[in-house]
Amino acid sequence: MLRELAALTRREYLKLARNPQAIFTSLLLPLLYLLLFGQGFHISLTSFSLPGAPPPTPATIAAFNLAYFRGAPDYYSYFAAGMVGFVAVTATLFIGANVIFDKLFGIFKRTRGTPAPSAAVFGSRLIAGATQPIAYAFFVLGLALVFAHVPGLAGLTVTAPITVVSVLEIVVAIVLLSLMFATLFLTFGILLEVPQTYFAAVNLLNLPVLLTSDALYPWGSMPQWLRNVSQYNPVSLAVNVIRETLFGSSAYPYGPGIYLLGLLAWTVVLIGIAIFFVRRALRPLE
Amino acid sequence: MAMEGTISAEHLVKVYDGKIRAVDDVSFEVKAGEVFGFLGPNGAGKTTTVSMLSAGLRPTSGRAVIDGLEVGADPEEVKRRIGVIFQETTADGDLTGLENLEIAAGCYGIPVAEGRARAKVLIEQMQLTEAADRYAKTYSGGMRRRLELAVGLVHNPRVLFLDEPTLGLDPQGRAGFWDFIQKLKKENGMTVFVTTHYLDEADGMCDRIAIIDHGKIVATGTPNELKDRVGGDVVTLKTGTGAAEITTLLQGLPGVHSIQHTDGSYRAKVQSGETFVPLAVDTATRAGVGVTGVTVKRPSLDEVFLDFTGREYREEEGPNATDRAVMMNRVRGALRR
Repeated sequence: MLRELAALTRREYLKLARNPQAIFTSLLLPLLYLLLFGQGFHISLTSFSLPGAPPPTPATIAAFNLAYFRGAPDYYSYFAAGMVGFVAVTATLFIGANVIFDKLFGIFKRTRGTPAPSAAVFGSRLIAGATQPIAYAFFVLGLALVFAHVPGLAGLTVTAPITVVSVLEIVVAIVLLSLMFATLFLTFGILLEVPQTYFAAVNLLNLPVLLTSDALYPWGSMPQWLRNVSQYNPVSLAVNVIRETLFGSSAYPYGPGIYLLGLLAWTVVLIGIAIFFVRRALRPLE
Repeated sequence: MAMEGTISAEHLVKVYDGKIRAVDDVSFEVKAGEVFGFLGPNGAGKTTTVSMLSAGLRPTSGRAVIDGLEVGADPEEVKRRIGVIFQETTADGDLTGLENLEIAAGCYGIPVAEGRARAKVLIEQMQLTEAADRYAKTYSGGMRRRLELAVGLVHNPRVLFLDEPTLGLDPQGRAGFWDFIQKLKKENGMTVFVTTHYLDEADGMCDRIAIIDHGKIVATGTPNELKDRVGGDVVTLKTGTGAAEITTLLQGLPGVHSIQHTDGSYRAKVQSGETFVPLAVDTATRAGVGVTGVTVKRPSLDEVFLDFTGREYREEEGPNATDRAVMMNRVRGALRR
């Protein structure tokens, strides 16, 4: 099993390394969000100050940030943390499409003609497929931190003390979120035969998942019903962990551990569902 | 041990969509070390049969035994013991020839170092050394088929299945590919099951042949046995269209086994073409039927096919009912998902 897994994973990484354009275009999307969308929406309480009016007191600013940005010092910092979750999802979107194209080109048939177990076939693609969003998520985090030091650009300002544990919490959140969505979209790819059906299904799922999370909306401007929905959204769960770690826990009812548990539950459930369907789809005799 | 390298199909049936019988009660035995040809036009059921034998498709009924193992009982072990060369190209174009082989070796659980060594040997055997580090997508058609063959052999299988291995190759490429197969048989004693719709390939390269048509095996034997069954020479007399029917007259001539009348021509199986032709022309002329052409042939597999199926063999036929049914099945499956 391990040899088969290693061989197939090697193939996935070789394919990835030989397609730098795909890596570049995948990085371009978060880059554009960070450079354009985030900069355009960058607001803080001082943005609303009227000419001649007294500047808001630090206490007012803190209360505003707590209510609107869940403790982040400004929208950009709040948004950058949300973008990490956003990227972890969007970077997994095409992982299942690769399976469908491999089926169309006969490559999948070759693999299925060997005794390589279905766990190795699925696992190799999952490992390679989840690595990319994890890398992109850290790219976003790093870039947003750098922007904070570039004159004229808004950037991510970290206000909570960073410890080894808190960094690990961020890593686990990103890994779980990436694994979860990579599993989901990979299962779609295994089950579907036609690229158009796959892209339609992915688009149908992608937008509601992202738009019912608090990854991009300021918490304070979200209606209550959306807040209620978003607290169960896996993207929100991961983003909560990141934001708590970067800006402190005072705006959150639970600590990062609880959100990580919620995320773990989502991941386990989705992997369980995937195993059920994938084992049926990849059984030795069709 | 007596079962090593053998193939046995027992009453194999595959029905698609509950009504299309792609393979209909197919039974045969292939001995160890034999090159067994499965000959038939497109859509005859060749690929479906190979898929059932090579643990890719579950039969509707019947059973297949490969190398002493029942395919349905242990498909994964069967896959370890067989090599399959699919009709389509399956090597990854974005990987080099060597990488394709190394990864295929890994899929059979072969350790990395051993797989690499095996890959290098096969690359050399297949005369791909110069192209070993080139992406497979840059290979010519013949090179890609040889790479496919190498991939199928990477784990030293006892039985090799080749599904239309030379499809799309030029005559030179086909000849070169068959040289490799003959070499494999000679050096390794490997059992080879090959489907083809090229009659000349089946005739020249196979120890035994089964002819399949509309999902049923219509004849099995060595190429010579099959030709002998047709018997004697085959004479074709071309007559003008609308000419009077002279089948009965021709049938009465000495040394005639059978006469078939189709589209302004008579196809006669006779003891001796040399004796029959002057008599037949004379008989036709006396009956007022002008003979516009005469051919005399020793029986070929074309004749064998015609004899057993009652129709001409055509190598290139469009998708038939089975192909269409399979395609529709896939589309429906995809839509359901």
